[in-house]
Amino acid sequence: MSENVLHIDHLTMRFGGVVAVNDLSMDINRGEIVALIGPNGAGKTTAFNMVTGVYTPTEGKVVLAGQDVTGKRPDEITKLGVARTFQNIRLFSSMTVFENVLTAKHLRRTSNFLTATFRMNMAEERRMRAETEKLLREVDLYDLKDEMATSLPYGKQRLLEIARALATEPKLLLLDEPAAGMNPQETDDLGAFIKQIKDKFDLTVFLIEHHMNLVMGISDRIYVIDFGKQIAEGTPAQVQDNPAVIAAYLGVDEDEGQLSQADEEVRG
Amino acid sequence: MERNINRKRIDSATIISAAIVLCLYIAVFIAEQILPSTSMLFTVLKKGATYALVAVSMNLCNGFTGIFSLGQAGFMLIGAYVYGIFTIPVISRADVYQYYSGGLVQFTLPVFVAMLLAGLAAAFFAFLIGLPVLRLKSDYLAIATLGFAEIIRALFQWDKLGPVTNGSNMLRLFPTFNDFNIRGADGQVTVYLSTLVPLLISGVCIGAIILLINSTFGRALKAIRDDEIAAEAMGVRLASHKRLAFCISSFFAGVGGAMLAMYQTTVQAKSFTTAMTYEILLIVVIGGIGSVTGSCISSFLFVAASEWWLRFLDQKQMIGNFEVPLLRNGFRLVVFSIIIMIVVLFFRRGIMGTRELPDIIRGWQRKKKGGASK
Repeated sequence: MSENVLHIDHLTMRFGGVVAVNDLSMDINRGEIVALIGPNGAGKTTAFNMVTGVYTPTEGKVVLAGQDVTGKRPDEITKLGVARTFQNIRLFSSMTVFENVLTAKHLRRTSNFLTATFRMNMAEERRMRAETEKLLREVDLYDLKDEMATSLPYGKQRLLEIARALATEPKLLLLDEPAAGMNPQETDDLGAFIKQIKDKFDLTVFLIEHHMNLVMGISDRIYVIDFGKQIAEGTPAQVQDNPAVIAAYLGVDEDEGQLSQADEEVRG
Repeated sequence: MERNINRKRIDSATIISAAIVLCLYIAVFIAEQILPSTSMLFTVLKKGATYALVAVSMNLCNGFTGIFSLGQAGFMLIGAYVYGIFTIPVISRADVYQYYSGGLVQFTLPVFVAMLLAGLAAAFFAFLIGLPVLRLKSDYLAIATLGFAEIIRALFQWDKLGPVTNGSNMLRLFPTFNDFNIRGADGQVTVYLSTLVPLLISGVCIGAIILLINSTFGRALKAIRDDEIAAEAMGVRLASHKRLAFCISSFFAGVGGAMLAMYQTTVQAKSFTTAMTYEILLIVVIGGIGSVTGSCISSFLFVAASEWWLRFLDQKQMIGNFEVPLLRNGFRLVVFSIIIMIVVLFFRRGIMGTRELPDIIRGWQRKKKGGASK
């Protein structure tokens, strides 16, 4: 049996009377690319926010490589090797590309504010800068390193967010709709890129995505949720043929024609 | 080769900036020896140095970390009192604490030790009130810190604390800026340092803040300002970093308070009003939120305009036989307000925006290079 990276155990999240995520269980093993899909408002991002500590689940547990992290702060979870990107890009707007990635190196520091202020950590500072430079070269953003992060084209901003997440030295990378707003060509490139960084950085990838081409193309396994509940799980092929999934995506209709159209929609 | 690229190189613009600052210091030193010590220039420089430090400390909190704190006057008050209480010579104490039989504290600390203590005391109070207050956001935090400053002001005037704080009476007879002058055996001043030393103290403190801002911690603070959620997701612990910024900012506000005490030669709690915080906020806004250079420049401009350049507006002025209309006591403040409105309207992001002196020099260098290549 392969090594378990993330185990989600019967997670439930309620906001007042609304159940955003209902009894969700998942397992992600080392080296996998796992996708979480579902219609808008199905609770995908809420699930992400519980894994990364933004929300504390109402019920259930989040276990990272055997360690229960339920209720830990986001920065603690990041330190344990979970990095994420955001659905609506959240780059540090006053900083350059280089500084954005460099800032993410802060959490692996050994200096305190006094040694850092009085420059007694120059070796560490040099190491941070060297690693940032290496990372930017690897994701092909080095030529843009002195540009302001927010002045980059949209696709590059998404890329920079991934680079910044990689700078925290994660084992598990969570991507929240990385292809949102990208054209088909950019989406294809992104798929190849995700596979490439997965191998290069020895990552496990967990992504939320709406572009079915991308999801079906790169995922090892897919979880489908609707109204906060899991409705299917399996390989891309299994999920595509699952009637519950098709129904969730386009609604149930007695008409056969409608259903096959929905089927095609899911197949991409 | 590889190492050379990675090292954060000290470029020529930074060196030029340092040289400019050094030249200004030398100019002040020379001016102080030549000009009469009563010149308004020195008053402005002394108060400007004090305000510059407090403005930069406020900028660290409000501009670089995004914590909208309005407690500056409170922390200055703590600093001023701690400095005053511990530096009044023992022989003068009976005189100062005349209603409290000489007061409780019966020893005197060296000036610089007392200034350090002033900063530490302010930072300690910041730590304590930071525990509840830093959980608040934006305007709620502003109101809470403003309230704190008012409470501190009332507390220090409380009669029961009189043996320490001298109640609502003023503290005086402690060493002031003039005591930095070096005197000969006959009591005559041989070297004037009463302006240079405050500028140096302020410069060293601001230098430390600049170093902090440009360190990995400074980047984390800016990340919090830009996007708290992203910063936290990148592993920046919000609570401890905000507390750090708040305490360091208050530390330097405390040191600034001690300097203000030295400038004023007396300390009285009732002068540390909310209006003082607003003055400093105004300086920060005019200088540019997120620019240390801007805060420094606007401090000196603000102090010069309010204390010196606009003074003539308060008196009758005659040009030949013509009496200039409108000029009377208080008119200065009207003009001052108009100037501020103009600045705020036409320099939305302050004089400097978020740029610093080296950035401007780099801009000039690029322009020059661009021109030469054409």
